[in-house]
Amino acid sequence: MKESLMEILCCPIDKHDLELDVETRDDEEILEGTLTCTECGESYPIEDGIPNLLPPDMRDEAAA
Amino acid sequence: MTDSQDSRSQLAERRGLDPEVYQPAEDSGLLAEAAVDSLSEPEVVLEVGTGSGWVAEQVATETSARVIGSDLNPHACRQARNRGVEAVRADLLAPFAADAFDAVLFNPPYLPTDPDNEWDDWMEHALSGGEDGRRLIVPFLKDVGRVLAPGGEVYLLVSSLTGYDIVVELAEDAGFSVDEVVQESYPFEVLSILRLQPV
Repeated sequence: MKESLMEILCCPIDKHDLELDVETRDDEEILEGTLTCTECGESYPIEDGIPNLLPPDMRDEAAA
Repeated sequence: MTDSQDSRSQLAERRGLDPEVYQPAEDSGLLAEAAVDSLSEPEVVLEVGTGSGWVAEQVATETSARVIGSDLNPHACRQARNRGVEAVRADLLAPFAADAFDAVLFNPPYLPTDPDNEWDDWMEHALSGGEDGRRLIVPFLKDVGRVLAPGGEVYLLVSSLTGYDIVVELAEDAGFSVDEVVQESYPFEVLSILRLQPV
């Protein structure tokens, strides 16, 4: 994900701002990292350049 | 995995279809065309339930907008990203900030489905709108006003199978004025693109 996406994203649970923690990036994008809510502390993974902002109870890979 | 799921995905593979991600069809074409023709210089656009990412890619190519695609399905997110769409895995509009978008596009899963007949995989998520076809349309309409920037608008695909008049009424109840930008008849349904603007 591009770093400028931070302006568009918020915590899906309480809509507060997220804090970005970068593990891996290339010239354009953050590839691996974590987004953490500044209010509730819930964290959301960035994997292969895609932020997963599903609330924890919906995060499983399974379809249902 | 049950036998019926197994044979369904085998059938899909034989027909060259992706069993896990909805691929562009007539409805996708209609939504992309309506958005490209009607949007006036949008800066940031969100496509909810982007699936393969095709509609988002068309809008990004044909307009100057930055287009974000979101989907519940991780396979869809990866396909959209591979098309160059900025992908976010999300439940509808939940992780998007207030006032973030000039336009939001949504081709919802809309087929009315008997609960005893649901097959419980990613393709069902892409197609089934629950018993009345409006399972995701209702929560979408409740929240979409929050993420629209001033002057922003929503492009929503509606099928006659989903109850056109009821969807219009739901949108009006959610605080939007509704006009129809395009309508096309197909053998089993009529597809419309509704443009919603906050009143």
